[in-house]
Amino acid sequence: MDKKMKSLQLRHVDAGSCNACEQELTALLGKDYDVSRYGIEFVASPRHADALIVTGSVSDTMKPALVRVFEAVSTPKGLIVIGDCALGCGVDRRAYASHGGVQHVVQPDLSVAGCPPTPQEIVKRLQEYMDKHTTV
Amino acid sequence: MMTEISLYDAHDPWVTINAMHRQQGDELLALTGFRDQKIKAHWLLADGSIAREQVRCSSDRFMTLTTILPEVAWDEREIYDLFGYTPIAHPDLRPLLRTQRWPDDFYPLRAAMPDRPLWRDGEPDQAMKVVQGEGIVIMKVGPTHAGIIESGHFVFSVMGENILCLDAHLFQKHRGIEALLQGKSFPAIQPMIARLCGSDSVSHQYNLLQSIEQVTDRHVSEVVQYRRILVAESERILSHLNDLAQIPAGVGFAVAHQKGLALKELWQRGMAVIFGHRFLFDAMYGEVFTQEDKLHFLSLITSFEALWAKWVKLTEKNVAFHDRMRGVGKVTRQDAKQLGAVGVARRATGEKSDMRKYMPLYQVVDFTVATALGGDVEARFQVRLLEVESSLSILRQTLARMGDPSKEEPFVVPSDLTGETVTFSESPHGLNVHVIQWLDGKIDRYHIRSGSYRNWPVLAKAVEGNVVADFPLINKSFELCYSCTDR
Repeated sequence: MDKKMKSLQLRHVDAGSCNACEQELTALLGKDYDVSRYGIEFVASPRHADALIVTGSVSDTMKPALVRVFEAVSTPKGLIVIGDCALGCGVDRRAYASHGGVQHVVQPDLSVAGCPPTPQEIVKRLQEYMDKHTTV
Repeated sequence: MMTEISLYDAHDPWVTINAMHRQQGDELLALTGFRDQKIKAHWLLADGSIAREQVRCSSDRFMTLTTILPEVAWDEREIYDLFGYTPIAHPDLRPLLRTQRWPDDFYPLRAAMPDRPLWRDGEPDQAMKVVQGEGIVIMKVGPTHAGIIESGHFVFSVMGENILCLDAHLFQKHRGIEALLQGKSFPAIQPMIARLCGSDSVSHQYNLLQSIEQVTDRHVSEVVQYRRILVAESERILSHLNDLAQIPAGVGFAVAHQKGLALKELWQRGMAVIFGHRFLFDAMYGEVFTQEDKLHFLSLITSFEALWAKWVKLTEKNVAFHDRMRGVGKVTRQDAKQLGAVGVARRATGEKSDMRKYMPLYQVVDFTVATALGGDVEARFQVRLLEVESSLSILRQTLARMGDPSKEEPFVVPSDLTGETVTFSESPHGLNVHVIQWLDGKIDRYHIRSGSYRNWPVLAKAVEGNVVADFPLINKSFELCYSCTDR
């Protein structure tokens, strides 16, 4: 029987961000937001992850690595994109070596807009994602 | 293509003039390539003026400066990758930003507005620099990492536990931002410049503002200048808090890491209230600062200082923490100078090098340049601690002197704006330089040489001889930005 997700393990890939999204993701681990109490955790390997969390507009050099890491996540798997750049509306989307957003490479399941999105917003959206998804 | 070392000519005028600047103790601001076959070197002289040297690349070639000026090794490789101008006799001309996915004839900065090329299939792998010999193991890390970190690829040559050599393959996040800026107007590039980097955004914004003000001869009021000091020092505190919180994480000192993150969060929330953004994006461009903002700021500083004092005590009294930092990731004063180290990394070797002393903006406030002697992780930690305190003092001085806000004349950028500027500031990660060429109100060339760009080769040197397990700690003690390096 399908059950509601009680935990969400995430693997992060920076595909070309300015490091502000990374800093806000790091803030989630601090005591002010402390996402571990909701069962959200950042894991070291894609093999351990339920979903990949991606920032940045996807530089050409990062594209093969991004695809490979996503393939390494076992199914069923999710793709969560964080920040305007990853969503395809960032300031560098028209640069020659930018692929202009993650959606041109892989289709996301959850997009959190903002430059960068606030930690509150990210937490809220991750919880909504967990409510909507089921686990085996 | 490699050029032969035997072609090196030490008497080439381009070499001798730049060697002379180095001997005089001048500071190299930037080495910049241009579309018209020119390369320019900008030097900051002791009296604060800027000397401009230039060379024309006849048949797309110029004599390398790397032999006399090791700090430009990357700049010359970048010029080769993006313009196709060959530095003759460069000792290591492997691709820096280019990958095997780039079409052969694609030199993006040769065009005014380059199109996206047709990338080749395959891996972006580049040639590695490794040490060979019995018992030496090659350890590759990245480009993606097991945590929340920017992307970079590192190739370590390791013997036992010791690092013999680190070949840092950055530019994984190269997007081509300098080319993107070309042909755009001042208002169009403002948000792009503010988002070059999440940790030194304000410094980039300031360099752009300085450029436009130099070309148009615009003078802003005293209140706006004071406001700029507030924004710049706020960023220094924010960025240092981040780096200070990360260093304890490198040795498993979780309490100091967590409390450090909480201090940063407190500061960021204050920034959102006062300047409208948690990372101060676009904050430097603003000109309004009300009495209410001033009160908010003073109360933020007061509540911050109480917690800060406790945090400093927590880290100071932990002997084990200091033992772990001492002697690790050491940069000698000579290496710092040779490799062109800037900012905290340079000051942690005892040198009083702080660009704020050259910036007219800071002539109205009192502060001493913070230094430490060890050149190690502990020294870099110490310099940041002292700098947070000196920035707090600068903020208090500035708020006390700031008069009532005056009404600024609305500023319209002239449509025929033309000229070349070299602007710089002391970012939280060191000397940050922008070389900007305006043509008829648009960007013709925009070169960004950030503090992190200059310090990456220094970090690679600092890890040599250390144990692999200390790489995260040493890395965090520099906490360099990848984004404004890769661009």
